[in-house]
Amino acid sequence: MSVPEAIQLVEVACKATTAYGRPDLTARLRRTRERLADPNVRVLVVGEFKQGKSQLVNSLISAPVCPVDDDIATAVVTVVRHAEVPSVTLVREPAGGDGEPGGAERVEVPLSELAAHVSEAGNPDNRAGLTYAEVGIPRALLAGGLVLVDTPGVGGLGSAHGASTMAALGGADAVLLVSDAAQEYTRPELDFLAAAMRLCPNVAAVLTKTDLYPRWRRIAELDRAHLATAGISAELIPVSSTVRQAALRTKNTVLNEESGYPVLVRYLREQVLGQADLLDRRSTAQDILEVCEQLATTMRAELSTHQDPGKAQEVVAELERSQAAAARLKDRSARWQITLNDGVADLVADVEHDLRERLRRITTEGETLVDAADPAAVWDQFAAWVHEQVCAAAAANFVQASERARALAARVAAHFAEDGEIVLPDLRAVPHTEAEVSRVTPMTRPELAAPGGGEQALSGLRGGYMGGLMLFMPLSLIPGLAVAAPFAAVGGALLLGRKQVRDDRKRALQRRRSDAKIAMRKHVDEVQFQVGKDCRAMLRTTQRTLRDHFTEIAEQMHTSMTASVAAAQKAVRSTEAERATRIGDLEAELARVEHLAARARAMAGTR
Amino acid sequence: MTAAAPTGLRDTVRAVLRHALAVYRDSPESVRWLQHHLDRFDEPLRLAIAGKVKAGKSTLLNALVGEEIAPTDAGECTRVVTWYQDGHAPAVTLIPLGDAPPRQLRIRRDGGALEIDLEGVPAEKVDRLEVTWPSTSLRSTTLIDTPGIASLSGEVSARTDRFLSPDDAPTAADAVLYLMRHLHAGDVRFLESFHDKGVARAAPVNTIAVLSRADEIGGGRIDALISARRIAARYRADDTLRGLCQTVVAVTGLLAYTGRTLRQDEYAALVRLAALEPGELDLVLLSADRFVREGEPADPPAEVREALLDRLGMFGVRLSVSLIQQGVTDSAVLAEELVARSGLAELRQVLATQFTQRRDVLKARSALIALDRVLRVDPRPAAAPVAAEVERILAGTHDFAELRLLSDLRWRVVRLPRDQVDEAERLLGSDGGSPAQRLGLPADTGPADLRAAALAALSAWRRRAESPLAGRMQADAARTVVRSCEGILAGLPR
Repeated sequence: MSVPEAIQLVEVACKATTAYGRPDLTARLRRTRERLADPNVRVLVVGEFKQGKSQLVNSLISAPVCPVDDDIATAVVTVVRHAEVPSVTLVREPAGGDGEPGGAERVEVPLSELAAHVSEAGNPDNRAGLTYAEVGIPRALLAGGLVLVDTPGVGGLGSAHGASTMAALGGADAVLLVSDAAQEYTRPELDFLAAAMRLCPNVAAVLTKTDLYPRWRRIAELDRAHLATAGISAELIPVSSTVRQAALRTKNTVLNEESGYPVLVRYLREQVLGQADLLDRRSTAQDILEVCEQLATTMRAELSTHQDPGKAQEVVAELERSQAAAARLKDRSARWQITLNDGVADLVADVEHDLRERLRRITTEGETLVDAADPAAVWDQFAAWVHEQVCAAAAANFVQASERARALAARVAAHFAEDGEIVLPDLRAVPHTEAEVSRVTPMTRPELAAPGGGEQALSGLRGGYMGGLMLFMPLSLIPGLAVAAPFAAVGGALLLGRKQVRDDRKRALQRRRSDAKIAMRKHVDEVQFQVGKDCRAMLRTTQRTLRDHFTEIAEQMHTSMTASVAAAQKAVRSTEAERATRIGDLEAELARVEHLAARARAMAGTR
Repeated sequence: MTAAAPTGLRDTVRAVLRHALAVYRDSPESVRWLQHHLDRFDEPLRLAIAGKVKAGKSTLLNALVGEEIAPTDAGECTRVVTWYQDGHAPAVTLIPLGDAPPRQLRIRRDGGALEIDLEGVPAEKVDRLEVTWPSTSLRSTTLIDTPGIASLSGEVSARTDRFLSPDDAPTAADAVLYLMRHLHAGDVRFLESFHDKGVARAAPVNTIAVLSRADEIGGGRIDALISARRIAARYRADDTLRGLCQTVVAVTGLLAYTGRTLRQDEYAALVRLAALEPGELDLVLLSADRFVREGEPADPPAEVREALLDRLGMFGVRLSVSLIQQGVTDSAVLAEELVARSGLAELRQVLATQFTQRRDVLKARSALIALDRVLRVDPRPAAAPVAAEVERILAGTHDFAELRLLSDLRWRVVRLPRDQVDEAERLLGSDGGSPAQRLGLPADTGPADLRAAALAALSAWRRRAESPLAGRMQADAARTVVRSCEGILAGLPR
């Protein structure tokens, strides 16, 4: 592990910056240290129902932590992380709150009670309203900061689960898409993978239950071909939980190899942890290198003045030009500032327009549905449909917003980094959170007049089959809208002679329909307001993070240049004797800084 | 409902179709449409097998026929809608989309499986394939294999959509078996959507949901089928599903098919497997990869084991070995056990009570929907008597009233107290049309007992129909049940 090494190096660099009287650089290194101290690497385990997600998590950590059942599915997200003492904590965040850390309610329960809280049997549709359950367990695999997140089955991206999974993707370091070897990938799964690739740096496809399906190699081959066709560069790892568990039971290493789990563990260790680690080391090294560079600039300026007093004025003049350039970078009219401000303004407008467009489509489709049925009878279904569609829209909108925010950050950095590499701020730290999607509260039922004929299903309801990102069955496919029910004709016959009643009913139905439409529009407006607000807040935070980050660097550069100018001017005035000692001192100091820089470079370069 | 009614219904419907033909004789399109449905009226019941990709549709079709005629494969396999019907000689006909003439395809059979080569015609240009095959299982029912829904190639799914719920015509199938591996939200939505709206209220009566590939639940453990039955029972009680299908049955098509065609040499190989050391056997049965490994065990040889795995799957092998260890000593007994455990018998039973007995009613329903469409698209004064007759049949036939009430109960359009719902559904014929089935009594119950039970039910429902506390809908429902009770009584020998 190189994290301690990195921390140690940061400590050394801190000492140097303090010694050279640069508190601004010390503060920057402190933040680097804080980032290193939090090693959590989140791995999201996602997939359709009953593909063996919980079983996969259990087999990875070789402990029956997540409940596994032939029939009953997981209902609540379960977070498994390292802890010295096994523990289970249920976390309930206040609904619709701003996600303040203090607001969450945490309850410790015995390990054996986990199933009662997270499975569909004990907590159907998560009625208990848990945000997630946290399991701590002492395991070597997790000790490196790996956090496994077991999710409820994604019923397509359009389901509420799917939407919150998408939001969680943004904060994940890796995603494992779990799919069993019974069949090749379906459209929704591939769509999900493609969306995940856009949000998350590491995506792997895990093919489970290879013990049960003799043709799993064929399926793996087909899946790889599908991935290649779709341009998804995810690794496919076939595993068998059954074989793994038999191997763990009998401590049989040959069986363990066969289970495919060693490959998965290696992937998690090397790719996921390794990459997170590499990223950590790279950015730490980059921070230290920049600090070294800034320290060295000042020293070098002084040194060259000392070494060649004749050229001193030239050096000072050049330094002053650099100082002015650094000052310009700080300025609000700097090119990167303009790019950032304009970019965010454009982004806010585009993202809002995208959301409005998506929601408008839902409203139109919803009105068609309402017109085709009696809203009083089908309200529950209709509301669920609206909710699902709105969640999908919010998720898709979010994906777009975060993707474009990242592209903007890169563009700003490119403008900023005229000379030399600049570290991108860790945008993952931007609080985008699940709050955005969980905000989408279910629609309230409007006061509808008494339902005409009890409950009946909304037969026209078919909007996004398996997901909002793919309108599998467009409304135009609703069959038989032209063919009225032959059975309805009977109803008509029974009502003959009761025309008055029928007219009254018709009017009541019309009223119910318009009430339902108003309710839906109000709801969609509300959602647009909330989601729009959250999105804007997210983008503003991004803007602020980027601005602060680059301004700080610009300021540090400016301070360095000012110090350099001062040092050089001082050097001009110094005596011959002073000069000789100072040259010796500076060369020694520079060598020390260079040594630190070399260590930082070594850390970034090696694994 | 009684023996006389369906034949009466068949004649009336045929008559009204002929009448309509006469009215619309000047419109070639209507004539073709009506003639098609008149012909179809006398054909066997069309049963479509639908479901998501790789739900095991073709495997189940083979199990129902008892022969490997539908090609099966690990990858996505069925790409065009294929009809399997009874006939004297095997033949495959390709019906292209549009007006192109049908063409005969060559038949190749490779080790039992039927190989169908479209001979260069792209799948998207094919309306359907018609496979004619001499088989008693196909005599009363034409089976229709459909490509998977949520298939990766959107075009393949679209072909199924077009077939099951085409936007301009009543569906081509009279009844549907919907296969699902384990319930997905998509399955429910599909069930909801693939009935055309006009018959939506009667939809559950012609759909049976099948929990297929039941052997894979719980990782193919030996108790997988018990889990599967439990899951099916839960689905049966689920209100959403009750509104969408008649019932839910758990079936493993592979086990059923292999059980029906088990060979002596396969049995012998299984016996040799069962004789292995318990420790060694556990390792051999642990995974599919281990099961087919060369040389471990030496006997039976790897290629024999591989063939066994193809035929039975991991679960089937585990189950067979354990049955042999428990004392099954004969391949016929093993085959019987496999079929019995596969759930095929249960499915056949359900098919017989739900579809075969109601064949005429379902057929009449399909025909009347088709006729109704013509009347709506092209209304004319001369057709008024036809329309009136359609209405009269729909309103006056008690079989339709039963179907309608059944589906109203299922969709909870009509609400009865929970304890009365089950009884009402049974009396309306949800478990089968015979008096004993309707009364929920054993099949060998004597006429006297049947009569007594029917009389008891009659008076109970008459009371409910006349109760001043009952709402209009409940009273109407009770009256329909009363008529069913009267029908049962009328059908009993005096």
